[in-house]
Order: sequence, then C-alpha cells, then structure tokens
Amino acid sequence: MQTATEAPKRRRVRITSLEVLCLVLVLAILAQSRLVSVFDVPALRTGSTVFVAICVQALPFLVLGVLISGAIAAFVPARVLRKVMPRGQAAAVGIAGLAGVALPGCECASVPVARRLMGQGVAPAAALTFLLAAPAVNPVVLVATAVAFPGKPEMVLARFLGSFATAVVMGLLWARWGKLEWIVERALRRLPGETDGSGRWAGRWRTFAETARTDLVESGGFLVLGALIAATLNVLVPGRWFDLLAGHLVLGVLVMAVLAVVLALCSEADAFVAASLTALPLLPKLVFLVVGPAIDVKLFALHAGTFGRSFAVRFAPVTFVVAAICAVVAGTVIL
Amino acid sequence: MRRETQNILLVLLGGALLKIGINGDYLRYVKPSQQPWLLAGGAVILALGLFAIVRDLVTARARRVAGDEHGHHHPARSAWLLMLPVLAVFLVAPPALGSDSVIRTDTRAPATQASASFPPLPPGNVVPLTMTDFVSRAGWDGTGSLNGRTVELTGFVTHNGNSVLLARMVITCCAADAFPVTVRLTGLRAAAYPNDTWLEVTGQVVPGTATRATNYTADFTLASAHPVPAPKDPYES
Repeated sequence: MQTATEAPKRRRVRITSLEVLCLVLVLAILAQSRLVSVFDVPALRTGSTVFVAICVQALPFLVLGVLISGAIAAFVPARVLRKVMPRGQAAAVGIAGLAGVALPGCECASVPVARRLMGQGVAPAAALTFLLAAPAVNPVVLVATAVAFPGKPEMVLARFLGSFATAVVMGLLWARWGKLEWIVERALRRLPGETDGSGRWAGRWRTFAETARTDLVESGGFLVLGALIAATLNVLVPGRWFDLLAGHLVLGVLVMAVLAVVLALCSEADAFVAASLTALPLLPKLVFLVVGPAIDVKLFALHAGTFGRSFAVRFAPVTFVVAAICAVVAGTVIL
Repeated sequence: MRRETQNILLVLLGGALLKIGINGDYLRYVKPSQQPWLLAGGAVILALGLFAIVRDLVTARARRVAGDEHGHHHPARSAWLLMLPVLAVFLVAPPALGSDSVIRTDTRAPATQASASFPPLPPGNVVPLTMTDFVSRAGWDGTGSLNGRTVELTGFVTHNGNSVLLARMVITCCAADAFPVTVRLTGLRAAAYPNDTWLEVTGQVVPGTATRATNYTADFTLASAHPVPAPKDPYES
C-alpha cells in the first residue's frame, strides 16, 4: 500500500536546527540555577553585564539599519539609484560621504545599508565611503561631541574633518586598488524576485519585510560576536593604561587608536569617555574619536559577516591606518 | 540554520528586548533615554519574526503542492549567536555594574573644566547631592562650597585595599562606557558593610583631600549611614 511505504520514511527522525534549538532551550531552563551560580564570579558578572549592555544598546540601531536596507530594496529601484549617483567614481565617493550626514545613528546601522546600496548597483567605493562616513559625521554624533567638550568647538570641526577625510580616502583607495572578488558574492547579489518598479504594493511590502528579516538574522549574529569580544576586552584591558599615557604624545596616539578598536564604544558615547580622560592632550582623544566609528572589533565582526572574511581582513587594517593618519593630520592643523 | 528556527530566534530576541524595556531592567544596561529605541527595536524584531512565521504557514500548502524546496538560501551559522543575548536576558539577567567594576576601572574625574563655576549649595541642614556633583565640587570648586556643609549621598560600598569607598557608576550611553566616581568613607564603622551594599550616607567633605595624588577621591567624614535598596536607575549620567 502506498501509505505504508511512505509512512516509515516520514517518521525517520531528522535532526534539524529546530530540534537543536528546542534542546538547547530546555537544557538552559533546566540548568538555570547552575548557570546563575557559574556567572556569580565578579569578573564574569561584569563581563556579562557589559555584553548585554552592548547588545541592548546596538540592536535597535541595527534594526534601523535593516529597515532602511529593506526600504531601499523594496521601494528604490536600482535604476533610480544609478541615475542619482554621479558617473565618475570620485564624484560618487564625495556624494556618498556627504550622504552619511543624513543617517543619524551609530555604526551598526550603516553596515546593512551600505551592503544594500552595493546590491542595488551603487559603486562599492561609494558604498564603502558611506559606510565609514555615516556613523561619524551625522548631526547626533557631532552634537554629542560638542556637549562632551564644552568650550572647544574646534574639537567638533577636527572630528568632522578627520572622519570625513577617512571615508573619502578609503573610498578613493578602493576605487583605485579594490577588487570586487574580495567581497562575497551574496553581498552583491540582487534580491531574488525583486520587482523593479512594476511590482504591486503587497509584493513590495513582502520584499521589504523579507529583506529586513534576512539582513537582521545575518548581521545580528555577528553583532553578538562583536559584543562578546568587546565585553571580554573591556574586562581584561586594565584601566591603568590611561594613566600611563599622560605626557607621552606618540604613545598616547597609538594606545588610544588601539583602545578605540578594542573597546568598541558607540559613536554617540565615545566623546564623553574621551573627554573624561583629563590627563591626556587633545590629539590622542581626537584619534580615539576618529578611529572608533571607522573600525572596531564589533564592526570587524559585522564586516566579516556581511561582506566576507577576505574583505574584512584587508579593509580593517587599512581603515585603521588611514583613520589614525587622518586624525593626526586634522588634529595638527586645527587643534 | 532553517528558516523556522531563525524566526523563532527573532521572536525570542524581540521578546527579550521588550521584556527588559517594559519591566525596567534595561536601566542596568543603558541610559533611561534609550527606552523608546529599545521598545521600538524589540517590537520590530518581534514583528519581523511573527510576520515571516505567519507568511510561511499561509504559503506552506501552496509550496508543498508545487514541490518547491525552500532551502535555497542558507545564511551563515552565525545566527546561532543570537541565542546568547536571549539566554543572558531570560536566564542569567546580569546585574548592574558594581564594586568589581570600580576596582577594575581606575577612578576618573568627571569632565569638568578647572574654571567651571559652581552655584552655591541650596540652604538646609542636609543637602542631597549626586555623587557626580559632589566629586566635581570637591575637586574643582575654588570657592569651597562644600566645606562645612552636611550633604547626603547615595552609592554602593566598595572595599579597595585598605580604604572603604562609596561609589556610583556614571554612564553616557551604555554600561560599556561606565566609569566610577568615588569618595573615601572615614569615621563610623563603614568597613562593616560588605561590597555592593547600597548606602544613604550623610557627612562632610574633608577639605583639600581631592587632589591629583588621591585621583580626586575626596575623604568623607560620616555622620550617619544606613542601608537602602538599590535605586531603580543604578547609574548617574
């Protein structure tokens, strides 16, 4: 009989991620009291608080980013973007840098948006410029900087110029030497079933929700990984580093650049942290503020997840060096 | 990871954000003004997950008839990491930063200009002050507005070496950027309280103790101290 031959096949237990998820949840609930006592070590307690704090603080901004990404995919046809962006790479890079002013969020929001811009046919150089400019030159971050450094408006100007220069230089470097094959194919792929202008509204909303959902699942995991690394370093890096720096300008610049990467602070908060280091001169603080939003461990994890590992291992070190140099130049000229 | 699993994880994650956003636990991790962001973000994550589940259920039959296997897109295994914040929030619920962070992070003076001007303290026998205000005045107020005045402070106990500190963490965005402000308690038997006990204390500053040599940690002569429950917002900003 047909049903008899089919039944055993169906009944065979297939372990999928769904069963694994259920198992993990059940185990976690059963072991809760043990779990809590494991986390009762002071260092682990501090680390877990910082980990949850970074996730809780960054996830809403990532959600904002994936919503914009979804909106671009669903409602902005690729040909419109092509028409808006200038033909020349250099001009496109400049426009993309200025467009960063319009996304008031921190760095996590700009990653999915930059990726979607690439997918919709914007030149990668311009999309990467936007990626670096958006978290650093938007009005929210600049106002926060002005509040953190009362009576020093030159700090705001220096931060703006340093970050803007970083973004544009990286865009131009990519236009000259960047190779498309470093970026994984899935980041550049147009969405399947995208209706280019002709789709009905119901279809467009479905595209919007599906794009946002996929982006969120893909980059959310990497955000968590970044938060995990940042929380670990946050607990392990001794606070005494800051005290040793007073009076050493070169050492101060180097250490503050490294700290910007390992602490992975939100670009809206880093100005206050920098301002509280009263022993340091302004230049190392500026380096901290320019490097942090451009590249840190959390962003590195997000880049690796979104654009692929071979992109991230090339992009991150170059961005670090370029940002540090731009900050030092801007600081020397203005401060 | 299968699509169904992703959607369940999204529902759990959105639920976790909404939970701490509504019950007030979010104050342990971020500043109060982040609440609307947190609620909106959690709601959107929840909605994206639920929308996908409902859509999959509605189209499941059509897909089975058409024989379309939907496993065409397998994102990285990284999505499993989304479990970590979910488990951390629902099961461990990490507490607010306390004495361990104070010892770990060197006390940093609040960002105050040397030339900052401080209004005189309001009249009254006991003046309640925030720790940040107290530490700024103790370190930078040339007019000595604290001297001879009895003030009331709220913070938690931290034993650091031989000194007993009253501390409060200051955050500007989230707990990752927290740094402590502290005063050193003298008089009474402050050492009797264990770490992380929240105290409401009254007393007076010892003039001239908040210097660079003491890392701007002023001495505070206790007049009274009694334990209080931890405040809803454990941080100052």
